Amino acid sequence: MSGENKEQPKKPAATPPKPTAAKPPVPAKPPAPAAATAPQKKEPEPPAFEKGIADQIKKRFGEAVKVVFIRPLRIKLMVEPRDIVEVATFLRDTMGLDHAESAGGTDYPKDNQIEMSYHLGSYGREDLASHVLSLSTRTARDDARLPTLINVYKSVEYHERETFEMLGIYFEGHPRNDRFLLPEDWADIPPLRKDFRIKGR
Amino acid sequence: MASYPQNFRFGEFVGSILWLVFWVLIIVTLVGLPLVFIVLFYVPLPPIGDEVLTPYLFLTMVVDPSRTIPIVEHLMTTDLFRVAVFPGFTYGALIGGLTIFIERKFLAKMQLRVGPLYAGKIEGIFQLIADGLKLIAKEIIVPSGADKPIFWAAPIAFVSVSAAVVTLIPVAPGWVVADLDVGLLAVFAILGFFPLIALLFSWASNSKYPFIGGLRALHQMIAFEIPFILSALSVVILSGTLNLTGVVEAQLQSYWFIFFVPISAFVFYISSLAELERIPFDLPEAESEIVAGWLTETSGMIYGLLQLGSYIKTYALAALFVVLFLGGWAGPQVFPQEFHTPLVDISPLYDPVAANATLWFTLKTFGMIMLFLLPRGISPRIRIDILLHTGWYKLIVLTFINMFIALALIYGGILGPGGLLVR
Amino acid sequence: MTSLEDKFEETKRLGLQIVRESEDERLMTLSVGPQHPGSGHFRFTIKLDGDYIVYCDPDPGYVHRGEEKMCEYRNFIQNIPHLERPVIHDSTNITYAYSLAVEELVGIEVPRRGQFIRAIASELNRQVYTLYWLAIYGIFLGHSTMFMWPTGDRELFIDLLEALTGARVTHAYNIPGGVRNDMPEGFRDRCLRQVHYFEKRLKEYEDIFYNNPLFRQRTEQVGVLTKDDAAKLGVTGSVVRASGIPYDIRKAEPYDIYNEIDFKVQYMKTGDSFARSYTPFLDMRESCHIIEQLLDKMPQSGEVRAKLQPNPKGPPGEAYRRVESGRGALGFHIISDGTPKPYRVKISVGSFRNILALPYLLVGQRLADMPAIYWSLNYWPVEADR
Repeated sequence: MSGENKEQPKKPAATPPKPTAAKPPVPAKPPAPAAATAPQKKEPEPPAFEKGIADQIKKRFGEAVKVVFIRPLRIKLMVEPRDIVEVATFLRDTMGLDHAESAGGTDYPKDNQIEMSYHLGSYGREDLASHVLSLSTRTARDDARLPTLINVYKSVEYHERETFEMLGIYFEGHPRNDRFLLPEDWADIPPLRKDFRIKGR
Repeated sequence: MASYPQNFRFGEFVGSILWLVFWVLIIVTLVGLPLVFIVLFYVPLPPIGDEVLTPYLFLTMVVDPSRTIPIVEHLMTTDLFRVAVFPGFTYGALIGGLTIFIERKFLAKMQLRVGPLYAGKIEGIFQLIADGLKLIAKEIIVPSGADKPIFWAAPIAFVSVSAAVVTLIPVAPGWVVADLDVGLLAVFAILGFFPLIALLFSWASNSKYPFIGGLRALHQMIAFEIPFILSALSVVILSGTLNLTGVVEAQLQSYWFIFFVPISAFVFYISSLAELERIPFDLPEAESEIVAGWLTETSGMIYGLLQLGSYIKTYALAALFVVLFLGGWAGPQVFPQEFHTPLVDISPLYDPVAANATLWFTLKTFGMIMLFLLPRGISPRIRIDILLHTGWYKLIVLTFINMFIALALIYGGILGPGGLLVR
Repeated sequence: MTSLEDKFEETKRLGLQIVRESEDERLMTLSVGPQHPGSGHFRFTIKLDGDYIVYCDPDPGYVHRGEEKMCEYRNFIQNIPHLERPVIHDSTNITYAYSLAVEELVGIEVPRRGQFIRAIASELNRQVYTLYWLAIYGIFLGHSTMFMWPTGDRELFIDLLEALTGARVTHAYNIPGGVRNDMPEGFRDRCLRQVHYFEKRLKEYEDIFYNNPLFRQRTEQVGVLTKDDAAKLGVTGSVVRASGIPYDIRKAEPYDIYNEIDFKVQYMKTGDSFARSYTPFLDMRESCHIIEQLLDKMPQSGEVRAKLQPNPKGPPGEAYRRVESGRGALGFHIISDGTPKPYRVKISVGSFRNILALPYLLVGQRLADMPAIYWSLNYWPVEADR
């Protein structure tokens, strides 16, 4: 996430009816993601329940956590690598987000950064069951290192192993940063980086 | 890659064949015929009627049917015929082959499918032949590091031991290869070879999955050996003999023993399933756990022989059940006393009692084989700890119940010599 | 009660101790797969102490195709056919999640009839997958009839889907904006007849398989995954429902018209292999009711597909949408940079999440329980590798 478009989730617009609505209303203009070139102007009003959760996290961590967007059923947070274990522990213990559904990285060669996002969900809290909180962090592309979340979320073990080989992020503290899906004799750069090209394409 | 020489000439081709025929004739004349005559000179030939069976006489049976019958009649009295053909190997193998056919169709009907359909037009009856030809044609792969002598010998030993069990089974009065006084003990003694063969073969394969399978086979067969023998023991108590023909005759005099000792019959059935490694007791070959168990490294005809052996064994154990519990060949006489055929009179060969006995025995055996096949359609595989627990604790206790019942029947004067129910 | 993790560590420690104490090789290392009949395109190394498994190391990746990388080279519509390859038996569901995410990114509203047809196709396809899974579970436990029956009944659902979509397994039916084509004539009656027949068959399945005492002996109290462990390991689908957490995406986050459908989330509390194998069966039964309701409530006519520009693209943004597939939650995280091609696609599949539980459940169990536990995890190797 480049610096200028980090905080603009709370701006008045049309309010969606319910947080658990079947079909989340399509945002007219979704908030700018990481690779966005320019910040978007019009934003829908964030739903109350999700906003409450985001506020709770903001209250605890203040400026360390940046809320990227709040949409029905979806929240995205951006933290610095050094805070991620602390934030994740807070989310697990206090907020009841007890498992990670998915974890994966995205390569941004323009910013010379790699973003790692963990999609956290909850089995324990009924009101959070439909929500997915995306906890993201960014690391430098040249020396991609992140602290592992395996001690907080057991369920990210294989996802982090996969991210290690697919994007080359070394997870400090992870017991096994080694080959998982790729062949054992893979001798190229990590394939999900943008400078890896498929032959013939 | 099929190819023929580029300078192919038809004349040379015919010439080469003629050359080959020439050499074959030379070798047969110079080596083959003298050898045959030397053998005939030393081998005493049996007399048929008032003539000695010479090759000439043997060949006349082709053109003169009146000479055929006495020769066949004589052949049927020889031991070789009994071992190789009727109560012995061929009969067992034939029933084994039919078992495979029945198993496929029967299982297919249970599972709502059609089974083999194409080979042989009618319900795929030649599927087995096609499978056999395929197995013969396949390469036999011997794993590197295998103990080769044992690896080659074990399949043959398996078939031989299965056939050895068959020799002890009386099919009709007088029609048994080896009528031993300790027939039943001999059966169990021979059956004791199977775990040994399985273990030897699995060890000789030099592979991990066969080894686990062999150990499982050993555990399983030993655990079920004891209830197996004990369940047969109550029959011995009732009949007072270990001779299998004697057991059948004892049932002819009273009633089938399954009515007196049903629990033993049940235990015998369960133990037979375990001995045969059939579902639910097919742990030694459990596919999803240990690939194919002790058969993993088999290929080609080695696999074919092991399968043949196991189906002959199926016949042997079904026949043993029939002998012990279902009255052997007992059944109403359905064949006429006299039987004349229009062209060639085969009445010297025709024995109404033996034919009738064979019919009933075969029918009962097929009934039992169907019962052996049935669990495959309805049951999953059992786990080894449950299996051992069943074998060592439950079945042994069950056999004792019927053994006491058998003793009570004997000492209560209901069965046995001069008993109430003895005809 | 000690947690699964502690037990795992303890057994692993004991196993390693045995190796250290006796210099000879007491443990036997078995490589289960990829050519093992009980593994699928997958390998796990296990170490055996006698009949007990003391160590397990899963090694997926034998059918890795780089789907996520391939997505970055094709535009949104071109991605559909190759995205169903990871799980061709459940192809409608995997494209369903993809279509939902693309619709959110591009901003398409699906017509109401299209939503219903989508849901019907998805339910039918889930039946197809679950029957296939059940068939393999049957043969893994040596029950050959349970292999043949579901395989045969699956054929009927495949015929229905063929009538609906034109293809037997890889349908490419869900596209962003709806479904490719409308229902054929007489599909409703055919579908209802099939569902009624199948409900009768389910009773027979229960009699021959689930009520079989040997099957119960094999699976009950085998590989127990408690509620806490299930939540901690983040397993999904039938695995988490078998452990007593009634979590179903169709209920938790109803997509399309699922909030108008009346159904119960089927779950069990024991968390053993039996529960894990019985929950998909209950799901199948519930799915029959859902199909009946969908056919009843469906609007009789209308558009099935929203008008789409030839090469759709949305504003830069990201979307994460999930559906309930045969193996649990199936999520697509798509990041778009405003071009017609996705910038990054991350597929979060149930198989990849469920297989994490395998080492924890296998360690300490018997070798014979290996297939009973492994396949009860509702794992599809090809999907996990993507």
